Amino acid sequence: MKKHQITALVCLVAAAAIAIYSGNLFLSLRKPDKIIPGPGVTEVRKLSDYFSELKGTRGDSDIYILKGAEEGGKVLVLGGTHPNEPSGYLSAVIMVEKGKVSTGEVYVIPRANNSAFTHNDSQEASPLYLHFDNTKGEERAFRFGSRATNPIDQWPDPDVYEHAASGQQLSGSETRNLNRGYPGRPKGNLTEQMCYAITELIKKEDIGLTFDLHEASPEYPVINATVAHEKSMDIAAFGMFELDMIGIKMQLEPSPVNLHGLTHRELGDYTDTYPLLMETANASQGRLRGATNEELALTGKDKFYVSAQKLGMLYVPYDENGHPIEERVGRHLQSIQSYVSSYNDFTGETVVLENLPSYDEMLAGRLGDYLN
Amino acid sequence: MTIVYLIILAFVLGLVIWNLWTEKKLVNQLTAVMVIIPLVLRLLLIK
Repeated sequence: MKKHQITALVCLVAAAAIAIYSGNLFLSLRKPDKIIPGPGVTEVRKLSDYFSELKGTRGDSDIYILKGAEEGGKVLVLGGTHPNEPSGYLSAVIMVEKGKVSTGEVYVIPRANNSAFTHNDSQEASPLYLHFDNTKGEERAFRFGSRATNPIDQWPDPDVYEHAASGQQLSGSETRNLNRGYPGRPKGNLTEQMCYAITELIKKEDIGLTFDLHEASPEYPVINATVAHEKSMDIAAFGMFELDMIGIKMQLEPSPVNLHGLTHRELGDYTDTYPLLMETANASQGRLRGATNEELALTGKDKFYVSAQKLGMLYVPYDENGHPIEERVGRHLQSIQSYVSSYNDFTGETVVLENLPSYDEMLAGRLGDYLN
Repeated sequence: MTIVYLIILAFVLGLVIWNLWTEKKLVNQLTAVMVIIPLVLRLLLIK
C-alpha cells in the first residue's frame, strides 16, 4: 500500500469517527425533554388525535389536559411555537407541572412545533439545552431549539412560500414556520398539517380562548406586548389594565388584517376562539447580541444591548440586569391568569386556574422552584 | 424527490471518497474529510 493510501485510510477512519460522534449528538436532540405532569393533568392526548396523518411523525406533539371538577370554559395554551423562544415553552411546562384547574378545561401544548425542537438554527451558535435545578436539587434540562421545522422532516423549501389560504407570499424558509401556516391544511406539508391539527383541536373542543406564547428580540417593535385579533381586543384591553395594576407594562397591538398565517389572525378568522399572542424580551435571539450561550438565554444580560438601549435603538427597557427567564416566564403566566379573568368577565364562561406562580413570586424565586 | 436527492448525494459522496483515496496531498485529503462528514450525516438523514 502506498503512503498516500495509508493516510487516506486514516482520514476515512477519522471521518467515520467524527460522523458517528456528531451523528449521535444530533440524534439525541430528537429525544423529547422530560416533562413531569403534575396532579392537575387529567389526560394526555396527541395532535394526531385531531388529525390522524400526524401519527408517527415528529409533528405529533403531546397535549396535556387539565380538567376541573366543575364544567366551564375551555382555554388552549401553545408553548414552543418557536423553540428558540424559551419563555413560551417553559411557561407551558410550568402549567403542566404545577397548574391546576378547578372549573373548566385548559389544554396545554408545550412543544407546539415538536420537530423544531430537534435541531438548532444554523450559524446562530445557540445553546443546545437550558438547565434548572428543581427544589430537590435535581437537574432538569430543556431544549433550546429552532424557529422552524427541522428540514429533515420537511424538505425542500420553495423559493417563495405562498400561504395557502390567502395567497400571501413570504420567504421560502417561512414554509417551516408554524406561525405562518395557520389555519393549515390536511394535504399540506408537515408544518401546515400541525397547524391544521391545532385548528381542528380548537374547533372540536370548542376552545374559547387561545394563547400563543412567544419571545422577541429587544430591537423588535412588538415586544412586552400582546397581539390581539379584533374580536379579542376587549378581553386583551381589560386584562392589560389588571396587568398594569400588578406592575406589568404591556403593549396592546392589533393583529394586522393583511398579515396571514399567524395564530392571532387566522385562529380568529377561521375558528370561534379568541386568540392572543404574547411576546417577552429575549436577547439570545436578537441581532445585536454578544456571545450566545445558555447564560444569555437565561439572564438576558448583554453589554451590547445595554449600549443599544443608551443609543435609543430598543423597544424595551434594558440595563445591566438584563431580562431573566423568571421575569419573562412570570410575565407570560401572570398575563394568562389576567386574560383568563378578563375572558370570564366578558363571555360569562368560567375557567379557574390555580397553583400558578404570580409575577412577583416568579421574580422572587427561581424558575426551578416551579418544576417537578 | 427525496430518493433522487439521496441518489445524487450518494454519487457525490462516492466521488469525494474516490478523490480522497487517489489524492496525494495530505491537505487535500483533509479537505475531503471535511466534505465527507456532512455528506454522510445528510445521506443517513441525521442532519
